[in-house]
Amino acid sequence: MEYDAVVVGSGPAGSVTARFAAESGAKVLIIERRQEVGVPVLCGEGISKQVDDFKVLKGRRWIANNMDGARIFSPDGTMVKLAAEMAGNETGYVLYRDIFDQELARGAIRAGAELMLNTCAVNLLKENDKIKGVKARHFDEEIDIKADVVVGADGVESKVGRWAGMKTTLKPSDLEICAQYTLTNVDVEREYCDFYLGKKIAPGGYVWIFPKGNDVANVGIGILASLSKPGLATSLLDKFISSHPELKKGEPVRFLAGAVSVSEPYESVRDNLLLVGDAARQVDPITGGGLMASIEAGKIAGETIGRAVEMEKFDKEMLSAYEKAVEAAFYKKLKRNYMVKEIMLGFEDKTLNMLADSLKDVKFDEISTFGLVKALVSKHPSLLMKLRPLIKAARV
Amino acid sequence: MGKPKAIVERELCLACGGCISVCPQDAITMIARKASVNKENCIGCEICIKTCPVAAICWEGN
Ligand SMILES: Cc1cc2nc3c(=O)[nH]c(=O)nc-3n(C[C@H](O)[C@H](O)[C@H](O)COP(=O)(O)OP(=O)(O)OC[C@H]3O[C@@H](n4cnc5c(N)ncnc54)[C@H](O)[C@@H]3O)c2cc1C
Ligand code: SF4
Ligand code: SF4
Repeated sequence: MEYDAVVVGSGPAGSVTARFAAESGAKVLIIERRQEVGVPVLCGEGISKQVDDFKVLKGRRWIANNMDGARIFSPDGTMVKLAAEMAGNETGYVLYRDIFDQELARGAIRAGAELMLNTCAVNLLKENDKIKGVKARHFDEEIDIKADVVVGADGVESKVGRWAGMKTTLKPSDLEICAQYTLTNVDVEREYCDFYLGKKIAPGGYVWIFPKGNDVANVGIGILASLSKPGLATSLLDKFISSHPELKKGEPVRFLAGAVSVSEPYESVRDNLLLVGDAARQVDPITGGGLMASIEAGKIAGETIGRAVEMEKFDKEMLSAYEKAVEAAFYKKLKRNYMVKEIMLGFEDKTLNMLADSLKDVKFDEISTFGLVKALVSKHPSLLMKLRPLIKAARV
Repeated sequence: MGKPKAIVERELCLACGGCISVCPQDAITMIARKASVNKENCIGCEICIKTCPVAAICWEGN
């Protein structure tokens, strides 16, 4: 089997990369170890409406619900409301992530890419240290897939980068460990995604409620792995649900465990190889949202592969065009949000309560940054010291 | 004896991949949709055990 590019993983990053590579003329194969694209779902299923700008999805079947915004609850229950545009990459639509992933894969296939399920990459194919493709297992059969470019779109546990000698291992303080129930029979606010903060609620993370419409909602938790104990994510989530008047009436139709990086983005290019999406740690370190970044990076990666095929050049220098373009597109934001995450981790619950109390009546769409800081500090002057590093980070 | 080794209880693992991404020894691999520790490489650092959201990893022999 010989291709221009072999893409490991059929998540959003892999399918979008494959689509744009195939559209620009490359012969592409996606391999996926699962037996069904997008299943099981490992996601909170929230995404910004900016996803529409990329025009990578047909129809509307993948949308479960429309969101107006987000409500953030501080440890003492003070609520801050944000309009969707302010609330980041996870607020806009709530998805059916399985249909979403399958639609993205369909887009790749329509563009000419091939997809092989039940096929797990087990190593890189190398000749004299040069990457020549991947070795994979398809049921009991070992197969060699030759390709000029290997794309590691293999998600948070990414092995492709490690096989190429890249240091993609995460520090426990850069990984959120998640658990989530999809509950039915719950009557929750339909237009808002809710986020709950607090050291006792979710150390180093948050609890979310994403309504899917009707009486269904995703209720999940992310905690920092460095603050985790065996099973803590699940037991804290159970505690949250059982003490919530509405959620405790719910019955789960799905339970999942997940993990998502909250690190700075990692190196993503070698000769004949690039990493996209969670594999390259292209995830917002504040929210743990990575769908938008996967799509944006996948488009750039696919187009870069198209050009590489045209010029018959697949070395690091050629593929670095991809890394440079994603850096320009959104790494600045990820790096800034990483700093914010590190600062916020040091905040006591008391500080979060003060912050929420200062922000609860602010009209975010009308206010300038200066006005915001003034609103914060005039109510709780001691916040100024705590926020100084944040304000500095925001200027970077 | 040496250091204890981590082991995954296969029935409990939900294949989230978290342990794999933080193992400093790259000793864990997903095999047939379950995480699996390669004992040869495990140094018993306990990171994976603490990380698992569903408590599916423990010390071997316990
Ligand atoms: C609980 C949870 C909630 C989340 N909620 C949100 C949210 O609300 N909004 C948001 O934007 N982001 C969210 N995220 C993050 C989001 O899910 C990821 O950023 C996104 O899935 C990244 O896409 P990807 O294509 O890089 O990786 P993935 O979607 O993880 O896809 C990787 C694919 O590669 C396959 N694969 C892996 N190894 C191999 C191999 N060796 N051979 C073959 N195939 C392989 C896997 O089976 C998988 O299909 C959440 C994450 C978690 C864990
Ligand atoms: S104990 Fe440490 S070295 Fe052993 S598998 Fe777990 S994380 Fe890896
Ligand atoms: S962290 Fe636990 S649930 Fe997740 S893959 Fe590892 S053993 Fe399985």
